[in-house]
Amino acid sequence: MDAPTTPLRGPAGGSGPAVDDARDAALLKVRDLTVTFRRRKGSVQAVSGVSFDVARGETLGLVGESGCGKTTIGRAILRLLPQGTSATSGSIEYGGQDLGSLSSGGMRVVRRHLQMIFQDPLSSFNPRRKVWDIVAEGLVIQGVDKQEIARRVDAALADVGMSASMVEGRRPHQFSGGQCQRIAIARALALGPDLIVCDEPVASLDVSVQAHVINVLQEIREKRNLALIFISHDLAVVRNVSDRVAVMYMGKIVEIGEADHVYARPAHPYTRMLLEAVPMPDASVKLKPTSVDREMPSQSNPPSGCRFRTRCPLAARICTDVEPPLRRMPQGQLAACHFPYDEPAPGRPGPGDPGIPGDAS
Amino acid sequence: MSGSGIQVDRRGPQVSQPTTPARGPEAVAKGRSLLPEADAPTWFAFGFLALLILGAVLADWIPGLAKPNLEVGAFSGPPALTVNQLFGTDALGRSIVSRVLYGARTSLSIALFASAISMSAGIFLGMLAGFYRGVVERLVDLYANTLASLPPVLVILALIAAAGTSVFTITLAMGLLGIGTYARITKGAVISQAGRDYVLAARALGASDVRLLAREILPNLVPTLTAIVPPLMAGLIVTEGSLSFLGYGIPPPAPSWGGMIAGSTDLLNRFPLLIFGPILAIVLTVYSLNTVGDYMARRIDIREGQL
Repeated sequence: MDAPTTPLRGPAGGSGPAVDDARDAALLKVRDLTVTFRRRKGSVQAVSGVSFDVARGETLGLVGESGCGKTTIGRAILRLLPQGTSATSGSIEYGGQDLGSLSSGGMRVVRRHLQMIFQDPLSSFNPRRKVWDIVAEGLVIQGVDKQEIARRVDAALADVGMSASMVEGRRPHQFSGGQCQRIAIARALALGPDLIVCDEPVASLDVSVQAHVINVLQEIREKRNLALIFISHDLAVVRNVSDRVAVMYMGKIVEIGEADHVYARPAHPYTRMLLEAVPMPDASVKLKPTSVDREMPSQSNPPSGCRFRTRCPLAARICTDVEPPLRRMPQGQLAACHFPYDEPAPGRPGPGDPGIPGDAS
Repeated sequence: MSGSGIQVDRRGPQVSQPTTPARGPEAVAKGRSLLPEADAPTWFAFGFLALLILGAVLADWIPGLAKPNLEVGAFSGPPALTVNQLFGTDALGRSIVSRVLYGARTSLSIALFASAISMSAGIFLGMLAGFYRGVVERLVDLYANTLASLPPVLVILALIAAAGTSVFTITLAMGLLGIGTYARITKGAVISQAGRDYVLAARALGASDVRLLAREILPNLVPTLTAIVPPLMAGLIVTEGSLSFLGYGIPPPAPSWGGMIAGSTDLLNRFPLLIFGPILAIVLTVYSLNTVGDYMARRIDIREGQL
């Protein structure tokens, strides 16, 4: 492995049409992932034909409104979806192994490499366990011997800025939210994973604590050359941590590419809408919403053609009839839109941006 | 970039945040009181049950206490200030105090063993039903609903008619009939636990189904179960009392509360005091068990609120 501090950024392009930045070094390959939940009345497709790669040491941000399927993707990767009520198709390859075809024993071995951090850290801990045992649990399950467990738990706690003496004899509810999330990170780290799915890891925390937890994550990522899938509805947070970003809408990836490209020149109207929704600290910047704000349509009966067309300011006839495929945009990323934008994001100070009236600086 | 809501700085994790975790109020309360936040009825209930259990277990060693079948005084003697005649003597001159305590031994151990049968099978079935749902759940539901739709005393009478009256038959019959209730309650509790993140997190760490059920979910069922076991045991004591009252319970001359009540009804007109001993025992035991159950349920709410 080369220097772990540099996240891999492959050259854009050069792979199949629907997948962004497929590299030989891809740690995780998700192809055409579709997840259907059976409900009492009919079924709901939470994820429809999603494909992406994650390279070693890379952070992929997964953004979208709640209910767009981001959490489902995270859980599908770790095979955590309820087996009775959900059906998964497509393939999820980790290190060349198709996870869907693994036995539960084989999956247990892979789980050392794939870990997860949940949104609400406290509810992700068994309330009747002590913190030290919670961090050690994965190692116990994986059959690691006692001395090694103690060593690795100590190392994992140290990585998140805690120590065994701090957690000694204590239960999760005796710690603050930020501390709990760091304990959750330590629990995932103890197994020595290559990839951690972070499902809204800071959404339940105070803003001041959010930054701290994100810093901890970033440091560990660099130190251990970890790949992260960072699921969040908060674009500002995702921007800070991600090498690449995938924007999801109603179970599909509508835009995916290098974070810099997507944030600077978003191609999909939905991405623009999300970026406009990010609060601006500069009150002199006036934004005109480009989108018709409406409710998300029903998941069980998605609109024909482009799923975003019911909320899209650019929607035309073709959007109803033809579903746009993910295509390479001139600015670098992939987007699924018939009428992609090419100019910089509105309101963002950028070279030659004409869209800011009354800026007297 | 101006758009970010968060400023990510490069401070290390060690420098920020004080590192002393907050102490929960629970920890403080535990050191002070055996029964935190218990009111007077709760103290009474725990105290009464403790005394009753002690009395039942140690009945053989209580100084001066006669054996239950020994004639110690006049037929239907009135209460007097001796150990054996505190509640009077029954129609055969036997000590009511002694018979109540030895009866407690029978009643409590039947309730205990029957509960053990119901719990072990019921919790097992309920956990499978709640965890796997689907066909397993439907089968367990069918079984539980069938049991629930049968009047327990009639079923037990039928079993006794087939197998003969004995403490063993009664215990087994009541134990089997209780399985459905425990299965249903456990199932509900498991369903509410199985969807929680900590179960998902344990699965993500590689835990097998057996481990998830036994190590993760089962310990979290304990609070729910401690709240429902006492009232269900109270029900068993009433059922056993009714059976003995009807003459199909504990075969005489062995002492039992229901049998004592039945025996004193004949003489109720002339010696109304006779009935007080056993009735008081049943009423107070049932009341105490229910009160203890309520207290446990309150404790769960408090604990859940603290999480």
